[in-house]
Amino acid sequence: MSMFHSVKRFLLIDIIKGMALTLSYMFRRRVTINYPFEKGPIGPRFRGEHALRRYPNGEERCIACKLCEAICPAQAITIEAEPREDGSRRTTRYDIDMIKCIYCGLCQEACPVDAIVEGPNFEYATLTREELYYNKDKLLANGDRWEPEIAANLAKEAPYR
Amino acid sequence: MTELLEAFNTFTHTEIGAIIWLIIRIFAIMVPVLLGVAYLIYAERKVLAAMQLRMGPNVVGPFGLFQPFADALKLMGKETIIPTGANKLIFMAAPMLTFFLSLVSWAVIPFSDKLVLADVNVGILYLFAVSSLAVYGIIMAGWASNSKYAFLGGLRSAAQMVSYEVSIGLVIINVLLLAGSLNLSDIVRGQTNMWYAIPLFPMFIVFFISGLAETNRAPFDLPEGESELVGGFNVEYSSMSFALFFLGEYANMILMSAMTVILFLGGWLAPFNWQSPFEWLAPLWGILWFTGKICFMLFMFLWVRATLPRYRYDQLMRLGWKVFLPFSLLYVIGVAGYLVYTGNFPKVGV
Amino acid sequence: MLCFLYSRIRFSVTRNTHAIIEDTSLLMPKLKINDIELEVAPGTSVLQACEQLGIEVPRFCYHDKLSVPANCRMCLVEVEKTPKPQASCALPCGEGMVVKTNTPVVTRARKNVMEMLLINHPLDCPICDQGGECDLQDQAVAYGFDRGRYAEAKRAVKDKELGPLVKTVMTRCIHCTRCVRFADEIAGMPELGAFGRSEHMEIGTYIEKAVSSELSGNLVDVCPVGALTNKPYAFEARPWELSKTETIDVLDAVGSNIRVDARGQEVMRVLPRLHEDVNEEWINDKTRYACDGLKRQRLDKPYIRDVDGKLKPANWGEAFAAIARQIKGLPGEAIAAIAGNLADAESMFALKQLMQYLKSPNMDCRQDGALYDVSQRAGYTFNTTISGIEKADVILLVGTNPRLEASLINARIRKRWLRGGLKVGVISEQADLTYPTKYLGANPLVLDEVLQGRNAFCDLLKNAKNPMIIVGAGALARKDGLFIQYRVRKIAETYNMVRDGWNGFNVLQTSAARVAGLDMSFVPGQNGKSTNDIIAAAQNGKIGLLYLLGADEIDTSKLGSTFVVYQGHHGDAGANRADVILPGSAYTEKNALYMNTEGRLQSTRRAVFPPGEAKEDWQIIRALSEVLGQALPYDTLAQLRQKMVQSHALFARLDHVEPAPWNSFARDGVLDPAPLQSSISNFYQTDVISRSSPTMAACVETFLKSSVAEAAE
Repeated sequence: MSMFHSVKRFLLIDIIKGMALTLSYMFRRRVTINYPFEKGPIGPRFRGEHALRRYPNGEERCIACKLCEAICPAQAITIEAEPREDGSRRTTRYDIDMIKCIYCGLCQEACPVDAIVEGPNFEYATLTREELYYNKDKLLANGDRWEPEIAANLAKEAPYR
Repeated sequence: MTELLEAFNTFTHTEIGAIIWLIIRIFAIMVPVLLGVAYLIYAERKVLAAMQLRMGPNVVGPFGLFQPFADALKLMGKETIIPTGANKLIFMAAPMLTFFLSLVSWAVIPFSDKLVLADVNVGILYLFAVSSLAVYGIIMAGWASNSKYAFLGGLRSAAQMVSYEVSIGLVIINVLLLAGSLNLSDIVRGQTNMWYAIPLFPMFIVFFISGLAETNRAPFDLPEGESELVGGFNVEYSSMSFALFFLGEYANMILMSAMTVILFLGGWLAPFNWQSPFEWLAPLWGILWFTGKICFMLFMFLWVRATLPRYRYDQLMRLGWKVFLPFSLLYVIGVAGYLVYTGNFPKVGV
Repeated sequence: MLCFLYSRIRFSVTRNTHAIIEDTSLLMPKLKINDIELEVAPGTSVLQACEQLGIEVPRFCYHDKLSVPANCRMCLVEVEKTPKPQASCALPCGEGMVVKTNTPVVTRARKNVMEMLLINHPLDCPICDQGGECDLQDQAVAYGFDRGRYAEAKRAVKDKELGPLVKTVMTRCIHCTRCVRFADEIAGMPELGAFGRSEHMEIGTYIEKAVSSELSGNLVDVCPVGALTNKPYAFEARPWELSKTETIDVLDAVGSNIRVDARGQEVMRVLPRLHEDVNEEWINDKTRYACDGLKRQRLDKPYIRDVDGKLKPANWGEAFAAIARQIKGLPGEAIAAIAGNLADAESMFALKQLMQYLKSPNMDCRQDGALYDVSQRAGYTFNTTISGIEKADVILLVGTNPRLEASLINARIRKRWLRGGLKVGVISEQADLTYPTKYLGANPLVLDEVLQGRNAFCDLLKNAKNPMIIVGAGALARKDGLFIQYRVRKIAETYNMVRDGWNGFNVLQTSAARVAGLDMSFVPGQNGKSTNDIIAAAQNGKIGLLYLLGADEIDTSKLGSTFVVYQGHHGDAGANRADVILPGSAYTEKNALYMNTEGRLQSTRRAVFPPGEAKEDWQIIRALSEVLGQALPYDTLAQLRQKMVQSHALFARLDHVEPAPWNSFARDGVLDPAPLQSSISNFYQTDVISRSSPTMAACVETFLKSSVAEAAE
């Protein structure tokens, strides 16, 4: 250790520097936001609550291809399907266990028709676990509720896909 | 007015009256100290938050000012859990002892000129003795919990406090040499012309750092060591017994700050013999300065906590024994030599 | 698209060359493929030679059980000294050929073919049931282009209606003509064909009609894309979610090797598994589509009939206690057991031992009441074996319709006929067997004519190298079954059907349990009663307890007031009549042994667990025996099988046909002149499982009722 370093150490230079830094932080702007009343910005790729989308004519997009079910690393998705009356391929059951879900977004990557998406909503905490077992109705309702935001996000992301 | 004062004087000179007056005076010290503790916790959270760009408590009351009371209520509402393997008597006695010891020291602290509960001649020794006892509370808690984490925390704490008491003692000798008295009020009066922090600046720093270690504060909070000891000696404590440890720890902080102020920062004395500009402020002038200086020292405590990471145990011991002890010893020799040389060495028996 | 036209010309050419190749000299051509030298049998195509080396050659139209049209062009390889890549499936190996399968030319050629195929193929893999197990999808990964260059309109083709079993999405068709060739060659229903050409080529039946073949389900398997898919299974599951269990089928006595695909605890579909000696690559429609019957009408807990005559759910203890109460003090002669058509060998063996412990000789595994001689194994099995059919040159069918009773044996006969030189005579009701037959009448007395050489068919039999006679279970179940069996044996002996290395005497059983039951003598013991006697005695109140092991095909209305215990898996006739029901497991829910009509021992494997409280059948009998104080001496299936092998060595070797020694059996008697007929008239509903299946009911509606209506017109 050189003399210079010894002196520096003896005079607690580094500690004083550090303390000066923390002190300067004391007078900076706080980053905390008053959450329920203020919200931070979220990106168009934000992976929040799931939703099943519809086409503009009201037809549900999901075609029961089960790719999301297959790709889901947490096995949170359960799908059952059968031919609908008009012969088209539709789900009779589309469940997502939001507790199992790890919000990786692979389901929306896998979806060939942009039916299952993870929307911008993250405020869906519930008091019971049962409420977090989403079924098809709940997911479709989510889709209807968030469609403007989801569509805008997808449009923003379109050039990169 | 004078009649009232006289009646009061006569009352306090009766046997029962003296006791009641004593109790009133004790409460007059204890209540502000405990309130101070409560708001020290609040201040700590606020300061730490500010330095980390957060808000800190701001929900309970205006600016979160009632937060300490909410916390206290919460702790009181909790169940006291005594582990099956614990030695119940010692387990329960430990927090009480800690809390008790953190309060009795205040008896000799001069808040202002003449404003002291017990103006004893050996005030500094008394302080030193009582603060040494504090280690018992912690080691009892660590042992009685019958838990390996608590036990390790207790051992660390004991070793740490004992180590740093040595350097604290040597630092105090420096002050005593300059003041020539063991009476705390006399020590303060000795600083009328110059605070001891100026000639003894290196000792002031050593004392402050040792004070951090003595009160188990960051960066020397090894006995608690959340990350390695899950909370240290108080891991098995809950509810009020935990609260007593907590109060004790923070009261010790305030006490250590008060000691620093008395020994180095001129106690109740305003700098440059500045006198109260208003007549009505004069009686409070000393207390105001004393409190203000304590607040500054406490802020230093918090500031250090917000800045520095925890020391490793061996670094802590090395610092205490291999750096502070020889350094303060050399400084004692230096100061004593200087005093002998200038003929100001205090005479024995004064 | 030109290649399709081209291939249609080749179609006929290759068919002819195929025949020629078979007769060519035994010269073994030597050739080099990817620098590896090998020698192959004459007539081997380059594609087959590649397969021998383990070199993968992509293909769509080529199928090793069908003729070679070479119209998909996917299997192109480079052959030295030829200017262009060659279709390896239609190119016979020649001496000194040098073949390359991994050159850039080959890859580029295949990529071009792939792009052409994908021009009109829709991009609907996500909604296609073939998705995940599609040849086109798989090969598009290897040879597909990453974007489409085809900007013009894609064509769309109207879907064809092929009945309740096969769903069509004809836009997806790539015109490999595998289905046409399968229908034409294997199933013998030439209705399916290709019409139109190039862009306008379509596969269809021309006149919209359901494909009425008992093998139509195999169209789904041969189709390399999603044009033909399994209709009842449509959109229900994906191949990757299914757990696959290799097992065997027990809905007829062929013992087809199948793979049961289950999702969770639900059997989703049944697929064939290759077994060259049994079912090749095919299975019949009942095997494939009756699996939805496994989910319906199931017995999932024990029931006891209470005093009001209603069946009430109970637990196992109560059910066993009810049986024990009834059996207490009953003499052995008053206890009887009948095993049904789906009973497995282990449960029959356990039940037989239990009956012996109870000192009862009254048991029978022949619920059709057949009384022919079963003392000799050769007298009740299919001695020629199914693969042996391919060596036969004359076949006489007696009282059987193999198309309904054992579709895959019929397919074997047709396969033999396709090769040429096979004559088939029929003494039974007239039926379309998919190949031409010589009809000798249905009167059993024709047997005497044949025996005495008074029939025109006798000359054929006399001159045949490997003649066969197949007698149906229907003929032997008649009152005069014993005498028919005698005459058939005599015919076999007279026409030299039984000799070293060849046994042409065959009984075509229709029930999967029968051969195993007879092999372990699950037949009346000393002074024991056979099925008909048991039923008669029950009606007269002489039977105190009748144990039905999955026996539903007896006349349950004639059991009088007998206490009936029914052990089985479906709520059918037997369960309706029962006083105590013990829920057992179906063939997809247990590991159990079955002997097929050849006497080939095969094992089912558990694909799913039995529903509710149902148990494996042998365990039920074992548990009951303990309650009755007659505990059977085994606790595990392995111990049971060991005991079974000790007493019946035939149960030692899986998938093996032990040739039965030939001895005289049966005796002469007066024949009943009533016409001979098959035991099965309704192919789709022969057992509890297929009777519970909605798909099979739909088939009956489409194929049987409509054909009756057509005949009436």
